[in-house]
Amino acid sequence: MALVDGVAQCYVDNDWICGRYWTDYRPELTDATVEHLWITVVSVVAGLVVAVPLALLARRNATVESAVVGATTIIYTIPSLALFSLLLPLTGLSPTTVIIGLGLYSLTILVRNVLAGLQGVPDEIREAARGIGYSPTQLLLRVELPLALPVIVAGLRIATVSTVALATIGSIVSYGGLGNLLLLAVGNQFKAQIFAASVLCVALAGVLDLALVVLQQLLTPWTRHAR
Amino acid sequence: MQILRALGLATAGAVLLTTAACGGGDDLEDAGSSPSADGGQGTVVVGGQNFTESQIMAAIYQALLEDAGYQVQTKLVTTRDVYLPELSKGNVDIVPDYLAGITDFLNTQANGPDADLVSSNDPEKTLAALEPLAEDQGISILPPSDATDQNAFFVTQEFADQNDLTTLSDLAALGQPIKLGAPPDCQGRADCEGGLTKVYGLDITEIVPLDFASAQVKDAVKNGEVQLGETGTTDGTLQDLGLVLLEDDKGIQPAQNLTPAVNSDFLAENPDLEDTFNQLSDALTTEDLAAMNVQVDLERKKPADVAQQFLEDKGLL
Repeated sequence: MALVDGVAQCYVDNDWICGRYWTDYRPELTDATVEHLWITVVSVVAGLVVAVPLALLARRNATVESAVVGATTIIYTIPSLALFSLLLPLTGLSPTTVIIGLGLYSLTILVRNVLAGLQGVPDEIREAARGIGYSPTQLLLRVELPLALPVIVAGLRIATVSTVALATIGSIVSYGGLGNLLLLAVGNQFKAQIFAASVLCVALAGVLDLALVVLQQLLTPWTRHAR
Repeated sequence: MQILRALGLATAGAVLLTTAACGGGDDLEDAGSSPSADGGQGTVVVGGQNFTESQIMAAIYQALLEDAGYQVQTKLVTTRDVYLPELSKGNVDIVPDYLAGITDFLNTQANGPDADLVSSNDPEKTLAALEPLAEDQGISILPPSDATDQNAFFVTQEFADQNDLTTLSDLAALGQPIKLGAPPDCQGRADCEGGLTKVYGLDITEIVPLDFASAQVKDAVKNGEVQLGETGTTDGTLQDLGLVLLEDDKGIQPAQNLTPAVNSDFLAENPDLEDTFNQLSDALTTEDLAAMNVQVDLERKKPADVAQQFLEDKGLL
């Protein structure tokens, strides 16, 4: 095929691995990764901020618990295409549309884990805390949440990794981070771009997962001594 | 179940909306046109679809608007039903669209999925049908370009030369049985097998299922497995492959001319833009689109660079 001189051979051959791509498209890859990162982080943080009160509500009694857990699970079954279409008239072509969608999906995992973490605190520890005069708020903040932290962080890790993958769907409304690059590349069979965006997605998930592990180690030093 | 789902979604959504708005990004609500309060020309949101040609057109629009002093944000989405309501509301200001494509969309939206087609091969008539539909949605349609991205059919250059073919009518006049390489939904469609047999009288013996404009369909025509293949008029790869389009001389393809669709309020506030985009539409040809598509799809140039080069070559910047 008569292509203009100066076109990199790996572009002409449409190779999966093309070093030239990584340099030529560095700004695009950086922007997409940064967008992907902040959309993921904001979504999961927003999900957590909603999940904690929902879990506190849910543990009051069994009926509320099944309602909350049921509702957040049902949300997960809404197809992402449909969910974004539902949100579109309200929030338009904005990151908010994607963040609400991803935050809602993260609730399924987060509410369950926060709840399980709180329920896993032994009754005698609660009893002892009350015995030395802790108010309900002190009990929650100083005893229950710290003890529930490993389980909560385990949930955060799953939610974060799944949100990194799901965030690509945001390309429906042009805020998909690396998903925008993926969608374009699938459209015109740009293998180097499909490969690069996928690798960066996986790397992002790995880095965030590692960061949460480190965070948990720092927040719960006693779990290390316990071993 | 439905109620539970709706309730859950509504409450959780409302809470998340609040939190997201507090913790969220830097540009949540600055989308859409804001008239020149700060002395500059204000911001413009260019919309479009997430495929090569639309991406190039959006890049051309962005370069023209930036040259005119606007702050431009480009938002490419997957489908027309995502950006058109936003264009109507003014969250998106301008979109490079296709004449029959937007006409059909607005027609079905206004008159239901079973509405009679108002688009046709005639750009003038299609535009006349489109304008009232668009106006109802607060969208203004600028004059279409002659550049058009229609479905089209190709044979090998060799076969065309031997039989002196330039049009689909010429091919029909040969009276040969023809195997067609096209997507399976070609069967019976007025712009595909249906039109080829009924309007042109081609004797199509088989539709070999091959993707639109794919490398496979081009190979199949080159190898003689099929005589006729389907692609688009802006496919810039054909010449190098020894393939040639046959002209749709009886007009079975709807007029998919490149047409700027603009939010009406935005256009009223920025009337000078009409000239800018009319100059672009005058200068743009189908061949330009084909050449630019090749640069992006095969040479892997960036749409923004291709757009810049095109505008400089045409003296539009």
